[in-house]
Amino acid sequence: MSHINLIHLLNPQHFPIFTIMLYFLGAFLIVLFGKNRILRNCIAFIATGLSLTLLILLVKPIMINGGVIAYWMGNRVPAGGYAIGIALEVDALGLFFGLLVATAVFVSCLYSFSYMSEDDNEPQYYTLFLMLAGGVMGLVFSGDLFNMFIMVEILTFAAVALTAFRNRVTGALEAAFKYLVVGCIGSTCILAGTILLYHQAHTLNLAQLGTIIAGNLDKNTIIAFALLFIGFCTKAFIVPFHPLAADAHGAAPAPVSVLISGVLTKSGIYGIIRLAYFLFQLMNLGAVQFWLVFLGSVSMFVCVTMALAQHDFKRLLAFHSISQIGYVLAAVGLSTALGASAGLYHAMNHTLFKGLLFLTAGAVLHETGTTDLGKLGGLSKKMPWTTVLFLIGAASISGIPPFNGFASKWLIYQATYEKAVETGNIGFAFVTIVALVTSTLTLASFVKVTQSVFFGQLPKECEKAKEVSFGMRFAMSILALLCILTGLLPNLVQKYLTQPAAATLFNVNKYINAMLGTGLPESGAAEFKPIGVWNPVNWLMLLMIALLAICIVAIASKYDAVRENKTEKVAAKYSLFYGGEETEFSQVGGGDLFWGFKHNWRHYFSFMHDLHSGIVNDYSLWAVVALALAMVYALIVL
Amino acid sequence: MLTLNYIASFFLIVLGLYCIVVKYNLVKTVIGLSIMDYGVNLLIISIGYNGGTAPIFTEGELKAASFFVDPIPQALTLTSIVIGACVTAMSLSLVIKLKEMYGTLDTREIRRLRG
Repeated sequence: MSHINLIHLLNPQHFPIFTIMLYFLGAFLIVLFGKNRILRNCIAFIATGLSLTLLILLVKPIMINGGVIAYWMGNRVPAGGYAIGIALEVDALGLFFGLLVATAVFVSCLYSFSYMSEDDNEPQYYTLFLMLAGGVMGLVFSGDLFNMFIMVEILTFAAVALTAFRNRVTGALEAAFKYLVVGCIGSTCILAGTILLYHQAHTLNLAQLGTIIAGNLDKNTIIAFALLFIGFCTKAFIVPFHPLAADAHGAAPAPVSVLISGVLTKSGIYGIIRLAYFLFQLMNLGAVQFWLVFLGSVSMFVCVTMALAQHDFKRLLAFHSISQIGYVLAAVGLSTALGASAGLYHAMNHTLFKGLLFLTAGAVLHETGTTDLGKLGGLSKKMPWTTVLFLIGAASISGIPPFNGFASKWLIYQATYEKAVETGNIGFAFVTIVALVTSTLTLASFVKVTQSVFFGQLPKECEKAKEVSFGMRFAMSILALLCILTGLLPNLVQKYLTQPAAATLFNVNKYINAMLGTGLPESGAAEFKPIGVWNPVNWLMLLMIALLAICIVAIASKYDAVRENKTEKVAAKYSLFYGGEETEFSQVGGGDLFWGFKHNWRHYFSFMHDLHSGIVNDYSLWAVVALALAMVYALIVL
Repeated sequence: MLTLNYIASFFLIVLGLYCIVVKYNLVKTVIGLSIMDYGVNLLIISIGYNGGTAPIFTEGELKAASFFVDPIPQALTLTSIVIGACVTAMSLSLVIKLKEMYGTLDTREIRRLRG
């Protein structure tokens, strides 16, 4: 009998609940047995690795065969068309986000093994780490609105505790408190929205809510929409909430930053997509499209300009993170098949390159003890691996071909432009321009970071820095490899990952049918028609040629330099710039690179600086104002 | 009677938000979070109430004529109360640590991260 049961457990039907349980079980076991370092690492490795494996096994039935897994806890299936149990439902969209989460969690767990090994309270770290992962996984697989709220609370708590984990670091406690206050306002909004929906529909099941609410709005449900929307915005750190992300990232340990940036923000984006496309099915309305695209564009631009003015490595990366989330939101808000696919593609890339960048920042912090851009420099001599990996991440986020950021940004430009052509609305073309400008500013800001951290002269404080351990390099290399692969194979990524996920957004009835068996008519396959095609191989060739040229020039000039050195000795290498004498330390600060630009925009920058006052009351006020505006806008247009 | 409940719950939510936005004392911010939570709890309970009896039945006792309140919101409220308690506990522990580190409870002085 037990033999049969065991085989039954290998049914893919059970994989989603296993994935969630593995994380929570791992967290629980680490509390019990976490004192032993080897046992603890084994538990964390198995929990994260096995979850990732299970999800990869689900790719075939869900992504390729187009199946949907509806799983009723305790086998309490719907009775008379009414959902009475708690459900998990995994469609292509859920699985897509689940895969992102599992990958990011696995890699940052590998990184943590060596990165966190010098901290005390390590068992508590892994417990919270796995709880955060389990919370996000539960959120993306949940088929029940109230369970989504529970998972949001779990992940918020875990994230707050992890932010304050190194509580002697400047600002860690402060950041955690601010995040807790505004995060709780967001969670309360989600709860209030949930209960208002329950009042109207008397169910909490997502599919059933979709059948009842969609096309059947009244004032209650409209306010519920605004509440839920703002609630998920706080999780994704969309614009009025972006200072929290910056604070939290700066203070949290690097692997946690990966989770907050790569995983937590995705849970917010996932919530917004579920809400707007599935629950309320409002995305065919121009006003809602405008709402999402506008918020996305504002996030893009505001955060990238904030990033330009930063002096701290991790804080700068945090602002860029939200800027890239703006791309995702704007693309998803277009409500076209191409836009959704491009947005999800960018969401995936964001997890990969942002994770990589945060891990390299962590490596720099680990070796030098600071992330202040003014105190760093010349680390490429000491940490060549980290430098190369950082450059891959920086090229990806700035959208330089053939890395993955280019593939998704290119699709986003196309999607926004195509939308402008289709609707005749010039505003969408303007979004294309904002996206392009943002991408340029991103590149500018990464040139600054590269210059002030990895190039230039090595300050005396950093002379002890050396290359980080193999474990950390290995974790970073996985992400770098994925960055390159997803950039080189955009067609495969689109065909097997993003397009199936994007297609679910336009076939909501499939989700409802799989859950309730109602047999609603399903729409046909969505059409993805990009305007232009790009072939990464050409760009790769170009890159190779450029690299070859650089190598030739470098070798040739080195040959010259060697020959000259024979005659003029060492002083010759200073003569070019300094007229012969040996100079004092003369690092070109990152802040000086774009001084002209910054000077011209000084009013804007000082205005923004004063606005982000760091007082928790101000940030709460922004949240309240955003909530009020969202409610008023929703009541007017819906 | 229920109208009064709704008014009271939204009053509590708004009062909590007001407290968070206007008061500069960290402890008062935490109190504001709690008040907001209580408001939402009252809202949930009120939505489930229809004048019936408590929804406690054993097998065979439940008849078509039984008139009882919706049990789901009550279960939700319990969960929400637990979460509220966690929020309060966690934020107060952060407040203690903040007081140790910054020597003040004034939010206007706890702003090393800005700009």
